[in-house]
Amino acid sequence: MENEIHQVIPIQPAPYSRSRQAGEAQTVLDHIVDDFQENPAAMQYFYDLFRGVYCHGDEIPHSGKLVGTTCIQAPEELIYAFGATPVRLCNGSYHYDQRGADFMPAKSCSLVKATLGMLSSDNVIPKIGKPDLVVNPSTCDQKKKSSVMIEGMGYSVYDLEFPNVKESEASRVYWRRSVREFASELRKLTGQRLTRAKLKAAMAMTGRAQAAFRTLHNFRRQTPSLILGKDAFLVTNAYFFDDIERWTASVEKLNAELAERQAAGFRAVQSKAPRIVFTGSPPIFPNLKLPLLIEEAGGVVVADETCSANRMLYDMTAVDEWLVGDMVDSLADKYLKPCTCPIFTRNDDRKRRLLDLVAQFKADGVVYQAFSGCQVYEMEYRSVAEEFNKAGIPMLYIETDYSPDDQGQLSTRIEAFLESLKNRKKRHA
Amino acid sequence: MSAKPVLQKVRDAVNEVDFNRFRFWFQLVAFVLFVYGGYLAIDLGSKLPFFSCGYNQEGRAGVCYLLPLQHQLGRNWAVLFSIASLSILTGFLGFALWFIVLNKGWCGFVCPLGTLQDWISALRRRLGIRFSNYTHGQFAQLTKIKFVLLALIILIPLGVGGGFFSHDMSPPFCLICPARMILPIFTGDLSQFTIDFSSKTAVAMTALGISVTALFLVGSFVKKRFFCFFCPMSALHYLISKPALLKLKKDGSKCTRCGDCYAVCDMEIKEIADDVTTTNIMTDDCTLCLKCVASCPETGALKATFAGIPIFVSTEAGFIKRMNKGCQHGK
Amino acid sequence: MKALVSAGLGLLLSMGLVGGVLAEGVTDEHAAHATSEAPRARPPENATPEEKRAFYQKRAAERAKAEAAGEPVAPRPSEAQIAEWRAKREAREAPAGAPAADDHGHGATPAKGRGESGTSKSAQDKATPDKAAAKPEEAARGSGRSAGMGMRGAGGAIWLSDSPPSRGDASARGGMGGMSGMGGMAMGGERSGPPSKRLWLRAGNDPQKSGFAREDAEAESETLLVRPQGPLAGETLPPLADGKKNLAFEMPVQGYYRVYASSRKLQGETLNVSVAKAEIANFSHGGDEEERAQALTAPRILESAPIEIVREKAPDEKMFFQLKSGDEQAFVVLQKGLPVQGARVRFVSHEGWSKEAVSDEQGRVSFQVIRDYFPAWDDFKKRFKASYLIIAEANAAEKGVFKDQPYSNVRYQATLAGSYYPSPDDYRSYAWGLGIGLLIVLFCGSAVYLYRRRRVKPFQEVRFDER
Repeated sequence: MENEIHQVIPIQPAPYSRSRQAGEAQTVLDHIVDDFQENPAAMQYFYDLFRGVYCHGDEIPHSGKLVGTTCIQAPEELIYAFGATPVRLCNGSYHYDQRGADFMPAKSCSLVKATLGMLSSDNVIPKIGKPDLVVNPSTCDQKKKSSVMIEGMGYSVYDLEFPNVKESEASRVYWRRSVREFASELRKLTGQRLTRAKLKAAMAMTGRAQAAFRTLHNFRRQTPSLILGKDAFLVTNAYFFDDIERWTASVEKLNAELAERQAAGFRAVQSKAPRIVFTGSPPIFPNLKLPLLIEEAGGVVVADETCSANRMLYDMTAVDEWLVGDMVDSLADKYLKPCTCPIFTRNDDRKRRLLDLVAQFKADGVVYQAFSGCQVYEMEYRSVAEEFNKAGIPMLYIETDYSPDDQGQLSTRIEAFLESLKNRKKRHA
Repeated sequence: MSAKPVLQKVRDAVNEVDFNRFRFWFQLVAFVLFVYGGYLAIDLGSKLPFFSCGYNQEGRAGVCYLLPLQHQLGRNWAVLFSIASLSILTGFLGFALWFIVLNKGWCGFVCPLGTLQDWISALRRRLGIRFSNYTHGQFAQLTKIKFVLLALIILIPLGVGGGFFSHDMSPPFCLICPARMILPIFTGDLSQFTIDFSSKTAVAMTALGISVTALFLVGSFVKKRFFCFFCPMSALHYLISKPALLKLKKDGSKCTRCGDCYAVCDMEIKEIADDVTTTNIMTDDCTLCLKCVASCPETGALKATFAGIPIFVSTEAGFIKRMNKGCQHGK
Repeated sequence: MKALVSAGLGLLLSMGLVGGVLAEGVTDEHAAHATSEAPRARPPENATPEEKRAFYQKRAAERAKAEAAGEPVAPRPSEAQIAEWRAKREAREAPAGAPAADDHGHGATPAKGRGESGTSKSAQDKATPDKAAAKPEEAARGSGRSAGMGMRGAGGAIWLSDSPPSRGDASARGGMGGMSGMGGMAMGGERSGPPSKRLWLRAGNDPQKSGFAREDAEAESETLLVRPQGPLAGETLPPLADGKKNLAFEMPVQGYYRVYASSRKLQGETLNVSVAKAEIANFSHGGDEEERAQALTAPRILESAPIEIVREKAPDEKMFFQLKSGDEQAFVVLQKGLPVQGARVRFVSHEGWSKEAVSDEQGRVSFQVIRDYFPAWDDFKKRFKASYLIIAEANAAEKGVFKDQPYSNVRYQATLAGSYYPSPDDYRSYAWGLGIGLLIVLFCGSAVYLYRRRRVKPFQEVRFDER
């Protein structure tokens, strides 16, 4: 008898959809879809999108050059105007976080670790393709230092100089010049010229997206809520990589459905459900840990002040003279002046914004998430807490990261917090 | 959404109006009225709080208050310091009554010279030439000039009346005002473009006037509302603006400090964007053109009120309508 | 363009001054009245002094003849002839019984009350050539510009002036003209009480050099004041008497105030009727508009005036009207409200230049105001108020009785005085104005352009090139 192996069956690499990374995304998505009742029908588009991209590893086509951005301050209108496609690279996957931990210091921000982990891997999910240029605004320390690392991974990186002080005249001029330099960089990349018509069209496109978002945002003011925060986060997370016009159309459909819900008096939650404003480090799919915990525990996230949702789409550009120079300057202003990112020296705008959100959305409390290692959010917590104390608004501060290990502990804390909010409401009623 | 009540519909229509077009037509009508109204025998008096130039003798529908003010202040001291000068106070009262109706909105919507500057800016835009800005330092220094000019408007005629200055120096501001030279052109009168050689003072003053006009033409071409920054009428307005009916109010809690209002402001007033504590946000440079209200994306952050009643409020919907040119979207 | 035309006209007019001879030679022929043998106004230009004297003597003789016939006479004689003439006249008039008056010898009847500079009692001076009396005449004559044409009584037309006669030169009074240079706003003089006006009756043909009009006991005088909104026929004012040399009145209402100082005097067979008129425009910005509108459109004619001159207002004339050098001004001569054709009208400018014309069927004459203000430039005052004088004469063969004396024809004379001011074209320059303006625009424009270009260079700005 021959003990020969005639056929060598190599170990097939498991398809992505069966990988642990996909499994992570799958779990979260299933949780989002199945464990809550009466999801809006229009959300199906988004669920399918995420399932395809994160769970099955579908490719995402793009037109023109692909420009990856690591922060919301990179002006995407300019990228569109040059015929390129922007994609936000910030990543929420624990899988990539662990990968990044291999070469990042231990006390690093999970988001940066995850992003770098993603960029360093062979199989980048979402499957957008390799960016022709990675634009890295010089915002927080860890993002700044990633520039060189990303370059080392074989990408072409452009440092977009973003000021850390926003009150001064010098910073405004500096940022405007920075954006103009970026435009000339894009011109070199794409070989196209920036014309008034193209820029206007790009701004119209993003303007439409922003308008759609604002409508969604306004619907969330409704008491009791028409839609849960988990869905809203999913919608805004989709903006990172989805085709903008398709995204806008889908959001408009969602808005239409919410209008119907409003007319019909629909309630997505109990009237007693505590309304929460979520602030701090951005929850990015699949890391929607905290918002999901809140909503599982009976609360509803009605608004947020994070750069993966509200801050990305809220501010709109006003132009006085529709000439290219003025349009670009107005864009620059929009990205700098209302920005409430904690990387600035002062955070007066952020505090006022939070107070305004709480007032407008009739929130009962605030949940402040800070990723461990995120020095800026952690440091800002103190001043925000003082402000909320003065205003008598309850706040829960949670320092966490991407790992799922602290779910149990967090859920207890959150439940306790929501309970105290309910009691508070009862007392005041 | 169910049918909105009528009042709400009206309010929404106003807040979402195509503001630039509205303002353009308003200014055009006001310009024709005050530059050509004299042909229709319209005379609205001589206490007008804007540059309806008195030198436009054929067509003027009223006279800018600065002209009679300088004449009255330029009287002989014997007459000036007598009971006859009660007329100065009554004149001023008349002016103040005109003024408080629209506050500095006269500047932004009615003043023919202001309208002219807006048209020159429109010409520049059409040619694709960008505008110029002042730096913050320049702004802080230059804004004081209008008060200096106002002081001179009061002091020089007094000097003329007291015999210190020659009569050829009266009325001092009118001699250097660009409106004196430019507005009569619209009724075919080019006679103000002369240098008066009859005395040294006259030569100096008319030459200065021509220079200022030339500077005005270049300045208003490159800078929006160039002259309004130095206008003594604006300074005078600001000094008595407290009881005015039309006001510009800001609700700082709603402001995201996005700076859109500052970006569109013709006068480059920073406070409109940065100041989140003051409610009555009109500064001495403001012309109440309300472009800031039209360009504010936060509902209720800026509003124009008339006698306390909000008449034009910044709304998100209005902003989206106005700023998303070429954006076809359904709601 | 307009500046060029008016400059050209001004030049022509000044030449007309110099060549006044020719002009007058021409206008001589237009004398409508029947002095076909009217003598030449001047001796030939290149005449020797002797020839000139001979000419003047001849003329004087002719005048005397003409006087006897009661016709208007030739213009002023030379100084040397005054005494002779006077003597002749006295000889002539003594039988008539009329007291020799204090005229300086133009052969006109004393009924017109010759004015005399300074002196009012020169009745005694007839015999001797009165230097003082002759002075104004001489001065006026010395300018050699008096009009010829047989104007009678040209030596002393009576007229109403708003300034008293002054010694020496009429000083350049920079009167507050109101509108020049300013936007037409009145200084708002609210003194206590309504404004008032003072007028002086002067005699003479030269606006600057006419002296006070003398009272004449023989003449029958009447002074009327027509107020706006007052009776159309006017109100009588007390005559100038008791040493008062001026009349004053208040102007409470806006409008045209007209004063008619008329006098009638018999001279031989001729009744001399003279009407001195003054028209004062009283308007202010602050007054009642209706009152003003009414006043602006009210007729300015006195129907009872035996003769009068009315300044014609242009249809687009504004409220505060100022006549400027170079402007055309028309006058209408009326008798009893009806236009007079063929009246001889003389326009005398501030410096004594005069021009004559004859009224047409509508009684209208038109003069172009010359420029005769030529001070040293540093003394130039743009509000210099110069006076002009209009004298109109007409004759009529009417019969009647005056103070129990018969007369067979009437000589009418009307006067009207006014002011004119330097034309803005004299001191305002478009070329300089537009030149400086253009220069500064170009300079500033280039400065801005270069500044913007410079800022592009060392890294300062990024430009977008849409092409």
